[in-house]
Amino acid sequence: MNIFPENASSYGAEIDFIFWLITIVVAVAGVVVLFLVLYPIFNRKKDYTKEQRYLKGDNFKQLRWIYLGIVLLAIADFSFLFKEESTWTKIEETLPNKDLHIAVIGRQWMWEFVYPGPDGKLYTDDDVKAINQLHIPVNATVHMDIQAYDVIHSVFIPNARFKQDALPGRSITRWVKMTKTGEYPLTCAEICGIAHANMKATITVESEEDFNKTIAKLYKE
Amino acid sequence: MNTHQKHGFWHRYFFSLDHKDIGFQYMLTIFFMVAIGGFFAYVFRMHLAFPDMEVPLFGLVTNTDYNMLITNHGLIMMMWLALGMLLAVAGNYLIPILIGTDDMAFPKLNKLSYWFFLISVILMVTSFFLPKGGVRGGWTMYPPLSVGDFGYNTPYATFSDRFFSSNSFVLLAIVFEFTALLMGGVNFFVTTLNKRAKGMTLMKMPLVVWMINIASVLFMFSVGPLVAGTFMLLLDINVGTGFYDPYRGGDPLLWEHLFWFFGHPEVYVILLPPLGILAEVISVNSRKPLFGYKFILTMTLIAAVLSMMVWAHHQFVSGIDPRAATVFSIFTIIISFPFAGIILAYIATMWYGKLRFNLPMKWAVGSVVLFTLLGGFTGLHLGASVFDIYAHDTSFVVAHFHYTLFPTVIFGSFAGIYYWFNKFSGRELNKTLGNLHFWLTFIFFNGFAFPLFLLGLAGQQRRVANYSQIEFLMQDPLPLYRQIATISAVILILTQFIFLFNFIWSLLKGKKVSTDNPWEANTLEWQTSSPPPHGNFKTYPIVYHGPYEYNIPDRDTDFTPQNEK
Repeated sequence: MNIFPENASSYGAEIDFIFWLITIVVAVAGVVVLFLVLYPIFNRKKDYTKEQRYLKGDNFKQLRWIYLGIVLLAIADFSFLFKEESTWTKIEETLPNKDLHIAVIGRQWMWEFVYPGPDGKLYTDDDVKAINQLHIPVNATVHMDIQAYDVIHSVFIPNARFKQDALPGRSITRWVKMTKTGEYPLTCAEICGIAHANMKATITVESEEDFNKTIAKLYKE
Repeated sequence: MNTHQKHGFWHRYFFSLDHKDIGFQYMLTIFFMVAIGGFFAYVFRMHLAFPDMEVPLFGLVTNTDYNMLITNHGLIMMMWLALGMLLAVAGNYLIPILIGTDDMAFPKLNKLSYWFFLISVILMVTSFFLPKGGVRGGWTMYPPLSVGDFGYNTPYATFSDRFFSSNSFVLLAIVFEFTALLMGGVNFFVTTLNKRAKGMTLMKMPLVVWMINIASVLFMFSVGPLVAGTFMLLLDINVGTGFYDPYRGGDPLLWEHLFWFFGHPEVYVILLPPLGILAEVISVNSRKPLFGYKFILTMTLIAAVLSMMVWAHHQFVSGIDPRAATVFSIFTIIISFPFAGIILAYIATMWYGKLRFNLPMKWAVGSVVLFTLLGGFTGLHLGASVFDIYAHDTSFVVAHFHYTLFPTVIFGSFAGIYYWFNKFSGRELNKTLGNLHFWLTFIFFNGFAFPLFLLGLAGQQRRVANYSQIEFLMQDPLPLYRQIATISAVILILTQFIFLFNFIWSLLKGKKVSTDNPWEANTLEWQTSSPPPHGNFKTYPIVYHGPYEYNIPDRDTDFTPQNEK
């Protein structure tokens, strides 16, 4: 279904999968809960004896259905957890070998992207800078050093299912690998002042040759 | 016992030491704050759906206005409505009368706590009118944004500019409010431990008294770091310290930890008292003993302890070490177990019951359904740290916490108000208006909050003043969702006027209650006159039974008041 923006990153599908997994299990559980709540309401005229009504739930035998409910929830929860933690480890805790290393710097209210210059190293004198326009090659693992100058910002690329806060005073390295060419939005997801809404950039995912041309052109400027 | 005296207006509303009057003062003050918070919600929702329109009663909304409105809406609703309504109002009104005593252990401390609360309200409201306008960095007030607006780094700002800024005022207001609630909490705890009626053991207390006490203790445990953090932020703004300034050795992440170390237990501080109210309402109206009293209590205590260990799930992508996120993810998932147990116990209470589907019960069932189905279950989505990468700071989160807070805070409070109104006013609320109020609120709350899930999944981030700036959020049908949400929110707000009218009219002119115990309930508050006199009971009651002894097999009546042999 089309409730997410189109996925264009290598790991986006796994995040969507977690969502659907949880949603489907939860929807089934929800129907059960709804039935459990509505049944006594619609049967409220039914006659039960006082003995049947005087249930205090103070022993295991009476509480067994509730424990069963908790155990089922625990099984579901831990299977979610098992699945999502392996994805989390892959996305957030490990850095695959890089094809390109850039810096993404948030400032009120623009995104600044820094590419390595001809020497191939970041943070040297020949670095190339661009404002609000990010070009990356397709199918390349890109390491991003996420930083901020002034206040907290947050890099959000919906199509890549990528988000990372940018904190002043820190450089946080995360990776993304885009698998489809095209233009995608990059926005700020942490309130950062008056022009928070305008703080957006475009990511152009293009072939390796096009990317090299773009960088060469930027370097000349 | 005190003799009943008639007091004048000033005495009753400003200097009374009676816990019922203080509870009522709190309630009126909070209604005033909610009116402001609700109005703000109306303005910014209108602006989101119809960006270029002049909002009636407000005018054109600029980005600055928008940031100010959402920030103060959040602060007012979280700090003043939710905490105030459920700790201060419920605690003050209910605790002494439910445990069968005449007043709080420290009536003057109680009065002082209200005065501190009033000071905090005055500071908060004043902050809107300061020269540079209300605070506008999001209700979480993350520095450096919350420092930078008027802060020490602004070269032309003088000390008085900084001190008389909304940031300083709001931080002070928060400190005053927390002091008030701390005094209240100490009072609740001491009163509960020392002033229970003869025969009322801890296990014979109504669950709501337990819940308010556990919430108060949880509040006391968690509030310290935030008050310290608030003072550090005040110093950063006013004196130029650098606690949160990375360029002077500080760290903005520190505030996030201090804030959420309080902020997450706070969610449970808010959640527990309404769960207690639901226990009362559901048990009485099912004509059955509460299912698993000790089980619920145990689960609550487990949840209270766990709630201190989940705070960083607000910070999965904030720059904390990703390995730490795993730990918080596990605890977040585990905390769903005790709450599932509690909710299932409430549902079990309804089974085999002779349900009275009256107004308090409707609110209670509505609360259980919405809180579980859409609030609790979407918590699993967000607790899974991987999905939180995508959903963090989007409307999905906004929908999630409105679905957790609205059913508990608002539905829970209304369940309580509709249930205890007869008691505290001696009059009845109009049932037709009550039903209208319930169904409209139920429908339009969903109409408002559900589209936000879909918007969030489409990638709409929070706190953006003008979505027309962001092309991918203007594709169909997203603007339509926003308009549905807005129109529902406006009707939802208008619906509350039905309640307000019903409340005031019934308070002054409503039908007098024919019996002191209209719900045929067991707990002690129904065994005295309505409204209760100063001192609550003519003679101190003696308790023989637990609070939920309905339908004892060998009795003629289906209820057994706690003080009846």
